[in-house]
Amino acid sequence: MTIPPQMRDLANRLVAYEAATKKASEPMESAAPCVYDKLRMRLSALAGVAGFQALAFRALAQAKADAPSLWAVEVAADGSLKGLGESKPPVDIDNDLAGEGGVVLIGRLLGLLLIFLGESLTLNLISDLWPDAAFDDRISGKGRNA
Amino acid sequence: MSTQDKVTINKLPTGVPGLDEIVGGGLPEFSFNIIAGAPGSGKTTLAHQFVFANATLERPALYFTVLGESAIKMLRYQQQYTFFDPAKLPGSIRFINLSQVVLEKDLGAVLEEITKEVESANPAVVVVDSFRTMVRKPQSDMDLQSFIQRLALFLASWQATTFLIGEYAEDELRDNPIFTVADGLFWLRQTAERNSIVRKLQIIKMRGQASVPGLHTFRITNAGLQAFSRTFGLVGHRNAPTSHRRLLFGIPALDEMLGGGVPEGDSVLVAGSSGTGKSVMATQFIAEGIRQGEPGIVAVFEERPQAYAERAANLGLDLDAPQKDGKLAILYLRPLDLSVDETMHSILDAVQKIGAKRLVIDSLAGFEMALSPGFRADFRESLYRMIFALTGIGVTILSTVEVDESFTEFPFSTYSISFLCDDIIRLRYVSIDAQLRKIMVVIKMRGGNHAKDIREYEITPKGVVILGKHLKDFQGLISGIPVHSDRSDRGEELSHDPKIKNQA
Repeated sequence: MTIPPQMRDLANRLVAYEAATKKASEPMESAAPCVYDKLRMRLSALAGVAGFQALAFRALAQAKADAPSLWAVEVAADGSLKGLGESKPPVDIDNDLAGEGGVVLIGRLLGLLLIFLGESLTLNLISDLWPDAAFDDRISGKGRNA
Repeated sequence: MSTQDKVTINKLPTGVPGLDEIVGGGLPEFSFNIIAGAPGSGKTTLAHQFVFANATLERPALYFTVLGESAIKMLRYQQQYTFFDPAKLPGSIRFINLSQVVLEKDLGAVLEEITKEVESANPAVVVVDSFRTMVRKPQSDMDLQSFIQRLALFLASWQATTFLIGEYAEDELRDNPIFTVADGLFWLRQTAERNSIVRKLQIIKMRGQASVPGLHTFRITNAGLQAFSRTFGLVGHRNAPTSHRRLLFGIPALDEMLGGGVPEGDSVLVAGSSGTGKSVMATQFIAEGIRQGEPGIVAVFEERPQAYAERAANLGLDLDAPQKDGKLAILYLRPLDLSVDETMHSILDAVQKIGAKRLVIDSLAGFEMALSPGFRADFRESLYRMIFALTGIGVTILSTVEVDESFTEFPFSTYSISFLCDDIIRLRYVSIDAQLRKIMVVIKMRGGNHAKDIREYEITPKGVVILGKHLKDFQGLISGIPVHSDRSDRGEELSHDPKIKNQA
């Protein structure tokens, strides 16, 4: 099962928003890990490090199917990611989401939150992490009265 | 010290319907409380209800989770309750997981972590779920006591009202220091009684105010916990009528036998065996009340409201219109694991909603069957509490009870509850002239004089109709097998002349 378009879209927008707030000197590629880390810190506080690590492990397993570029990535014991930027093995380029692996992983993570916590709590959590951004109108496609 | 010199302890809403009254008007602000009980007893849900009722953006709630139920799953399940307001997360209610520090460090580090979060958030409410898990690692009694003491002092000084949740056993009450430090101790129990599950809560301790003692039943529904006080929430609500008004039955001859009707605020028992017309009389009582502008409630246990209304219609009594007009409520209460307190809650809700003056309980046997087996054992005591509470707020109660006919006894009830009733009307079958007829007698009226006559009656399409004069020519009527006083002179024969029906 591939990543739902809404989750991918939300992850894309989070990464884009985070990239836009970075200084020009910082590489754009660092935006996705930054989004991931913000989610990690918040979710670790909420669910515990082990709780977040379990979620991240599952999200990564799903994401690897969508983005072979994540082949070397692992979730460390504290929930952080290891192996980002490792050189890629030979892959089916048509299915490769190289360069977007981070977005896919974040999308999968958000997808799990949506499944477990529901739309309201997931959006509240995102709004709390990125209070100046407006991401709260299109997760499930049903819209939201925020 | 005068009253004005004393500190005022604010009382916070518990968020649990019925619980405020039990704890003495609300939870004392800044108190340090324990919620104890076995798994599945509702501890976490109770804490959540309190948190959602009190947390604000300015004074949020910190909900510390430790090893045990995952916070994500907890939120997944808890948001199914109607009290769960997602908008309060994470601004007003913040979940913080302490598993890591509990696993890797000592109690000092745990306290440090809690201190850091509390200083940062300035919470009004702090919950630790589960505290039992937090202190499970081996440590000296002194370390534990010191930790608890410091935690309690710190949270109180930060003006936080605290709940520690734990799976404690009752035999720990004597030795565990946590119970000494706690200001409030809530104990939740869930027990299986035959095929029913009964939940009860007890306020073992509540410093600073008087809680209602005893075990209170509670239920967990999709709205969360709902508690049912043993005093039915009627503490200080005595409103017994002082008018000495009489409520008519709508059966003229019976009203005359009763000295003009049932004294308002009385509890009336109509006792008789199957088919003697108890329910018919009860229906007439409620219908007459509606005619007199006195709203009523019928609590039925043996048939559904529609069937009850249809049976009334067969007697020419319209119960549908008053239901639509808000003058009558027919409550069907039969989930088989009810407590009397829950039943009372439903009845009181209806009393308040429609301003009921009359209540029919049809029947006590059905009521008893609807209760969980454990509550049946306390049925007599529960009825006492219920009747006392309802008549105390001015409701006149008519209960029906089925009694087994005997030719050697004349029982009034199978529950030995006649002392609870102000008035008793006994119906029974008698064998006269090879016919099974029915007689009625007013056994007692606490509020005044009443007719001593034994009267024959029939159940007609117009309800209970009392026939003729009293049966003075028979002896041994209450045995069920009367003997004519003088078989050669029938004197005043039982009259079946329709012209004198319903006349005293």
